[in-house]
Amino acid sequence: MNTKNNLIKILVPIIAIVVSFLVGAILIACIGGNPIEAFSYLFRGAFGSASNISDTFVKATPLIFTGLAATFAYRCGVFNLGAEGQFVMGAVASIWISTTLTGIPAPLQLVISIVGGAIAGGLWGVIPGILKITRGLNEMIVSIMLNYVAILFMGYLYSGPLREGSVPQTGSVTARLARLFSPIRIPEGFIIALVLAAVIYYYLFYTSSGFKLRTVGLNRTAAEYNGFPVKKLILISFIVSGAIAGIGGSVELHGTQFRLMSGFGEGYGFDGVAIALIGQLNPVGTVLVAYLFAVLRKGATTMQVGTGLPTSVIDIIQALVIVFAVAGSAFVNLPKIRQVFTNLTGKSKKEGK
Amino acid sequence: MEAIMNVNFIQELLLSMVRMATPILIVAIAELYSERAGLVNIGLDGMMAFGALAGFLTCYITNNPYLGILAGAICGISVNMVYAFCTITLGAEQIVYGMAINIFAPALASFIYKIYFGINSTLISNTLMSAAPIPFLGKIPVLGNVLFNHTPIVYLAYLLVPFTYVFFNKTKAGLNFKAVGEFPKAAESLGINVIRTKYLASVICGGLAGIGGAYLTTSYIGTYSDGVVSGRGFIALSAVIFGRWMPGGVLLAALLFGFTDALQLRMQVLNSGTPYQLLAMIPYLCTLFVLAFFGIKKAGPKANGRPFFKEER
Repeated sequence: MNTKNNLIKILVPIIAIVVSFLVGAILIACIGGNPIEAFSYLFRGAFGSASNISDTFVKATPLIFTGLAATFAYRCGVFNLGAEGQFVMGAVASIWISTTLTGIPAPLQLVISIVGGAIAGGLWGVIPGILKITRGLNEMIVSIMLNYVAILFMGYLYSGPLREGSVPQTGSVTARLARLFSPIRIPEGFIIALVLAAVIYYYLFYTSSGFKLRTVGLNRTAAEYNGFPVKKLILISFIVSGAIAGIGGSVELHGTQFRLMSGFGEGYGFDGVAIALIGQLNPVGTVLVAYLFAVLRKGATTMQVGTGLPTSVIDIIQALVIVFAVAGSAFVNLPKIRQVFTNLTGKSKKEGK
Repeated sequence: MEAIMNVNFIQELLLSMVRMATPILIVAIAELYSERAGLVNIGLDGMMAFGALAGFLTCYITNNPYLGILAGAICGISVNMVYAFCTITLGAEQIVYGMAINIFAPALASFIYKIYFGINSTLISNTLMSAAPIPFLGKIPVLGNVLFNHTPIVYLAYLLVPFTYVFFNKTKAGLNFKAVGEFPKAAESLGINVIRTKYLASVICGGLAGIGGAYLTTSYIGTYSDGVVSGRGFIALSAVIFGRWMPGGVLLAALLFGFTDALQLRMQVLNSGTPYQLLAMIPYLCTLFVLAFFGIKKAGPKANGRPFFKEER
């Protein structure tokens, strides 16, 4: 029973990805492009040279963080659409720490800055959590509104108090994350993201607290009857989810952008939700799908230069993946379809009940 | 002099309040129909974005804003049919699928815009719908200008409120509609076609949300850019909650959000010293505060958000 379910869980996103690419190919052909040429540019852009491979890792890093943030919250049954705001607030805290806390060794500054980013993200994430458990407010609306507030606040900072120079942007941070393993140059932020994913995986599936958290997500009533501290777990999931996104913002600041400017973190929140859903709310799946999205994004620019097709073709493919993946998961869970699957494998699963 | 300035200021403020509240009102009413049939649709932002593009393109090509509104409605419906099929027939989780629409529809809109106008196009503007003042009423000083000197879409939006009220509370069809959102199994046993009602709700929701989006690009801004909707769908969603799923309440909520939006724009014009970002936060913060203090936990339809399977016992 379990292996069959797991197989379906892996198959659905893979089929969704394949179908999306096919639809994307038809779309490219419809607007007069050559799909094979376009996709070959796409993969050349993502893997063509050592620096391209490195860039793909760079692009994957923030997506992993926001994807993990969405995964963690949704495992507890709450929808955190505010990862973008938490991401931005993490970066805001980091730039504040980096510009005020000077005169200490760079590595120490880096650590303090990233911890600060986590705290800021967690604090921004706790607001929808508190409003949900005390006032019963819809966490999605609250977190979306907070996104806009955070982005405007960042805009105020880089065009006002923290502005440096004539262009509206902040000064750059001095403490930076390095890139490892010389030819491919994997960014340290990517390693941090992988470690975080592993920790979350362990927590969710191998600790009792993680089990309780998932129970709240699967069946809140059952969790309540079992005496699990449901409200506390929900609040924790918001804080941790926000902190993950906050670390993401901090890492993006210290590893890639080095400064705050217009468009920082734009769209990463919703991307994270999409990635988490396609990755079947599994940290490993999240990492893989985030990497796929990064491949698509890095390749999209090369494709636009090489073939003249707009990068938004790739956005459509990404969006189709989520549309198909979610529909596919629902489809295999339909009572009738379930029956078909059960009948197909009926003889071999007698012990499964 | 001071007094005239003030009257002018207030008149301008109220005028833009009515204009700003219109898209939120239309889309909130759209969501109201959807939720009354038990479908939480958080894809409003996406449908608005697609409606905005469809309206803009049609208006740009035909020079007729009314066709733009119509195109917006049609495109809103077609996008929402994807949502309807997946959530009603396949029973996909409504929140998740609404999110998928929010990601998919703007991407599609941006793609079509870029294909049509080229990758590096400048901002293109089109003809805006002109105001149609209502005879006699439009001549009343101050009030006439504020209430009766708008585009037809604005009147349509405000007429939707009493219409929706009468529909839900005084007609049999409306009560049946509500029953689907409250207790679909009971509704089914009384011979109401639950699935059909839900699809009908999705058509209404998609059409109105598309009109709300098309209003932005044909009667309000006149240009299309990615992110033109800027969270209005979510504000409309909170207007439904704040309005406690009643048309009158939704109208009040939409006017309140329209007022904060108008106020921050007026303030941006008046004191250029204050950073505009801080003023632009007002509508979002106001939404949060209003929800935090006046939002209530359980006023919505009882079966909201749950899938309905006929065979299930």
